[in-house]
Amino acid sequence: MRKFQIGDRVTVKEGTSLFYTRVQTYTRGKTGVIADYRPAWVIPEDEAWGRDDGRKEPFYVVRFNQRDLWPEYKDQNDTLETEIYERWLEPAKEEAK
Amino acid sequence: MSTTHEHSLALEQGENSKFEVLEIAVRELAISRGLFSAEDHRRFTEWSEQVGPAGGSRLVAKAWVDPEFKARLLANGIEACKEVGIDWAQPTGHGAPSDYTWFYVLENTPQVHHVIVCTLCSCYPRPVLGMSPSWYRTVNYRRRIVRWPREVLSEFGLYLPPEVEIRVHDSNAKSRFMVMPMRPKGTEGWSEEQLAAIVTRDTMIGVALPSADWTATQPPSQGAS
Amino acid sequence: MRSPAVEFEEEQPMISALVPAVHQALSSPPTISNRFFHVLMHIPHDVGGQPDIPRVYQDIPEVDWEMRTYIDCECLGWRGIWNSEERRRGENDLGETIYFGFPYYGRWITTAARTLISKGYITPDELNAKIDEVSKRLGVKE
Repeated sequence: MRKFQIGDRVTVKEGTSLFYTRVQTYTRGKTGVIADYRPAWVIPEDEAWGRDDGRKEPFYVVRFNQRDLWPEYKDQNDTLETEIYERWLEPAKEEAK
Repeated sequence: MSTTHEHSLALEQGENSKFEVLEIAVRELAISRGLFSAEDHRRFTEWSEQVGPAGGSRLVAKAWVDPEFKARLLANGIEACKEVGIDWAQPTGHGAPSDYTWFYVLENTPQVHHVIVCTLCSCYPRPVLGMSPSWYRTVNYRRRIVRWPREVLSEFGLYLPPEVEIRVHDSNAKSRFMVMPMRPKGTEGWSEEQLAAIVTRDTMIGVALPSADWTATQPPSQGAS
Repeated sequence: MRSPAVEFEEEQPMISALVPAVHQALSSPPTISNRFFHVLMHIPHDVGGQPDIPRVYQDIPEVDWEMRTYIDCECLGWRGIWNSEERRRGENDLGETIYFGFPYYGRWITTAARTLISKGYITPDELNAKIDEVSKRLGVKE
């Protein structure tokens, strides 16, 4: 049972990731939308340390507006997609407008 | 002779012989320990020499002339590849370790232009495009394309109007991507073979657009045979 | 009358010392700030969005040792010695200086060698002896 559905707005969690990560620093604390599902796979926290039969978790394609990722980004329409696994996502924090 | 002068000599000459030696040492030890066989090495080498951008070009050309194939390609990249003789399960039977899990073709439209990168390491769809170009693996490309895509694309000679959404795909996990560029004007009535010739590797990474005037030159060298 | 040679010998160290120092040597300080901890512990490969200048992008085909390195690493993955994610993490574990100082495939082969040792398939002295033997075979000077 997936925690998130396509169209959900999600925020990438901030948090410690000592020694190895595949959740890019530039995504931490940033909000995007679930654009697609990816099949569940072994999480990097296990796979990178040789645990091929480690914890499997759903992955998601998260689409960000580039203007939400980079302070100086000008073009309104540009986006970036990357794949984040479930433990690193939470429902989008309400942004103060 | 000062130490500084010796250091700069080594940097300039690009010796790399330490790596040559290390590679031979690792390979001979690995084979002698039975970690893999010389036959494994030969088979994998053979596979690496026959994959190249021509595979991806065939996929795009076929998708351009056959809308039903295009739909199958967009729905299930790995299955559709088999129709043009590309088997993602090769050469091991369960894929190339650094490439195989999921494959998605990204269709360029008048509204959306796709470009691919792997900021973390340089993941690349080798079964359909062969070995990545060396610039794709540079720290510089990995740093800049995600944040300054229009600037980087302009350095490739590609300018897109602001209305077009440039969508950067940072392939940081198990998916591998290839861009399907739009079919250019002036190619009406062309055969699949003629069309494949203008689908260059860079158009399938997303840093170039195909043109009826440009043909794919000899695919980049796979390294020494 | 002082000779030019004496003047040179006396003045050169002073002139060299005028070069601005832009790096501060690290020498295991007793304390560091949390920020410096964070900066030093940044995973090297996580480079997306870091500033960099435009450079000429070259398309340099792989040379022999690079292609063989690629094949060696994939064969080790094929036969279950490691998976590719271990390789990628191992490349980061080499640390920033080697990560950014070595050629791309230099990271691969160094990580492969190190992993064979850490997983117990070879000993460090076996690797060292093999390197010495191959160096001699190829006529590579130290």
